[in-house]
Amino acid sequence: MYALRDLSMKIEKGEFVFLTGPSGAGKSTFLRLLLRESLPSDGAITVAGKNLAQLTPRQVQAYRRSVGFVFQDFKLIPRKTVLENVAIVPRVLGAPVSTQQRKTFQVLKWVGLQHRMNAYPQELSGGEQQRIAIARALVNEPMVILADEPTGNLDPDLSLDIMNLLREVNARGTTVLVATHDRDLIRRVGRRVIALDHGKLISADERAEAGSNAGA
Amino acid sequence: MRALKYFFDEATASLSRGFKTALVATATITVAFVVLGGFLILTSNMERVFTRWQEAAEFSVYLADAATPDQRAAIEKTLRESAVVGGIDAVSKEDALRRFKQNFGTLAEAAGDIAANPLPASIEVRLRPNANPADVGALAQKAAGLAGVADVRYDRQWIQRLMYAVDIVRAGGFALAALLVFAAALTVASVVRLALLARREEIHIMQLVGAPIAYIRGPFIMEGFIQGGLGAITALVILWITFFVVRSRADAWLAGVVDPATLVFLSIPRAFMVLAAGMAVGALGGFIAALGTREIAD
Repeated sequence: MYALRDLSMKIEKGEFVFLTGPSGAGKSTFLRLLLRESLPSDGAITVAGKNLAQLTPRQVQAYRRSVGFVFQDFKLIPRKTVLENVAIVPRVLGAPVSTQQRKTFQVLKWVGLQHRMNAYPQELSGGEQQRIAIARALVNEPMVILADEPTGNLDPDLSLDIMNLLREVNARGTTVLVATHDRDLIRRVGRRVIALDHGKLISADERAEAGSNAGA
Repeated sequence: MRALKYFFDEATASLSRGFKTALVATATITVAFVVLGGFLILTSNMERVFTRWQEAAEFSVYLADAATPDQRAAIEKTLRESAVVGGIDAVSKEDALRRFKQNFGTLAEAAGDIAANPLPASIEVRLRPNANPADVGALAQKAAGLAGVADVRYDRQWIQRLMYAVDIVRAGGFALAALLVFAAALTVASVVRLALLARREEIHIMQLVGAPIAYIRGPFIMEGFIQGGLGAITALVILWITFFVVRSRADAWLAGVVDPATLVFLSIPRAFMVLAAGMAVGALGGFIAALGTREIAD
């Protein structure tokens, strides 16, 4: 049994790519491999010239600092405020307090939630929580953002807001890979699509046409 | 320093969240260190008391009634030449009888009918303060073999046996304390592991953002360290109070056998050693629990 097999693809630096397929297609497994949470039993995954399977534990830490992640369930820490949730990244990387505060405030301002920085996650709406999760993913200025069903818990309008935010992230030069089974959302945003099914690559260069309501 | 502050902040926040379970771990450490510290105080004071007794110990050589003046001179020469002897005092049969009558008046009256003086002449030996017990033992054995000697009484022999008993008490006490300390470390590990499981998601997030392993494990080790330190401090306070209560009543309880002034609490360096050991045991428990962060990664 393989979660993924016969998979060969390339994502260019600065691209915005959708990874789609039905449940069980292998989207999350693919992201776990890219996050270096799992290793392929065969083959190689190369990111920015580095074979992920050959990284030492210390190099894995360094690699992950260059990758931002966003999950469907936000993965915010309930007992920490918005500010602390975002600042945890520069904090655990040993940044000075002034740098932590500056970076955190900048990124919260960018996602439009600087006024909620003292609130706790449970006091925010789903859309706001996902914006905080994106702020946390961005605070360390990563080269890649990996998003696993980032709109899975949101209504269509909020989903489009989040996608627009990710498009802005991409416009700043960050590579964005979004796993979603929401074909309608993909069509509305309109970007390159990689389709998987039962762990196999169905299409690697399908291009969704942006709908008229794709937003900014 | 930033890292230590982060560890401390996270550890104290976690301890305040899981206050009751942390209290159990701290109490376990307290019990273990009360036992450990208690045995340290007990054995060190037993040693002090016995050493004082040993210093005041008597060494007497009893002479046979038939001992000749030459034999007596040879015995005195042997004793004087020994490096452990500070001086000697000769006690004649008459002196011995006089002392007996002074010390045991009633008995002396009862024995008044005995015609001959049954008490032997003796030589009382004053030992040098730092005389090696083994050397004194060897001298006692040598003296017992000399011609004209009826018996040798050396108090240090039973004091020495008491000293061996202290060693046994100490070994047993430390074995018990080691067992309790081990149990305390495991309790801390279990409590910290509960905290770790409660923060599973947070640890996962930290791993995903590439936090150094020290940053992930540090707060848990600090949590154990704080619990161990608090447990050891509580143990020292309990021991200190208990010690002074016991010492204030030592006269009544020990019937004057031991001078309360000779009893001492743990020295400052030893108290710090107990505190450091508490912190180390707690940190070890925290570290054992923190190894579980690897399972979360896997």
